[in-house]
Amino acid sequence: MRQKVIIVMLALVAILLARNLYAISMLPDEMRQGQIFRIIYFHVPAAAAAMTGSAVALVASVLFLVTKKFQYDALAVAVTEVGLAFLAVNLVTGSIWAHVIWGVWWAWDPRLTSALICWILYAGYMILRQALEEPTQRATFAAVYSIFAFTDVPIVYFSIRWWRTIHPQPVFFSKEGYFPPDWSRALAINMVAMFLLYAVLTMIRLRQEQTQREIDYLRRTVHAI
Amino acid sequence: MHLYTLTPVVAFLLQADADAIRDEIGRLQRNFQGLIWGFVAAWVILAAYTLMLTFRERKIRREMERLKSMVEESEKK
Repeated sequence: MRQKVIIVMLALVAILLARNLYAISMLPDEMRQGQIFRIIYFHVPAAAAAMTGSAVALVASVLFLVTKKFQYDALAVAVTEVGLAFLAVNLVTGSIWAHVIWGVWWAWDPRLTSALICWILYAGYMILRQALEEPTQRATFAAVYSIFAFTDVPIVYFSIRWWRTIHPQPVFFSKEGYFPPDWSRALAINMVAMFLLYAVLTMIRLRQEQTQREIDYLRRTVHAI
Repeated sequence: MHLYTLTPVVAFLLQADADAIRDEIGRLQRNFQGLIWGFVAAWVILAAYTLMLTFRERKIRREMERLKSMVEESEKK
């Protein structure tokens, strides 16, 4: 059943993204940025999906510490690992945009720096899990670390409001910015597609984590026999 | 492409000299190349991660089958 859901969701993602690639190419260029502004259609949805994943990891980690149920630990590791890939998409597309618009690949700007720190923190989460053998200890330490790592997420989000920055100001949910309805529609579709893709990859990763636990159990059984 | 997007281009061509036009064409090309690289990078990262998941899935399945057969053999003995 889960396999069928994954296939249907993947097909939906492919249709949405293919249809939207055409819609995005038909949009007029942005006046000052030109064609490169279209990177926003991957840059922003990737960031939104990764940040949502971080919030899910936070909730799952708290639930693990409260209930000690390993399914929450599995969910936390699944969303964090997928989130790392999406945050990498956000950082790399942002860097390419910066190279065209600013003339440099990277600037130590509050938004860019906090986003990079966020990626490093979650990469640290994955390394920490590799370093610990005992399952309960690994899950507990990782849950505490995940809660700590999440503190960077609001900093990433609010950095462009709190500090002077060269990163473009928000055009959504703000009085200053304006995003035409045609552009918003295409962005909304890409947002749905990227969130669906995030969900599918999380489901696959979650299943792997559950199978890995079964493998660990079987290993102990074999060892005991 | 909508016709109104060409209006500033036509206005620019009427005013500018050959060097400025060449510079502008170069800028537009760099802009387009950046966009293509951005899209390619996004897809390559996601495809690489998906491949990584696929390889891990295979490895886990093989390990599972190996352990199951070991448990079955141990129980027979």
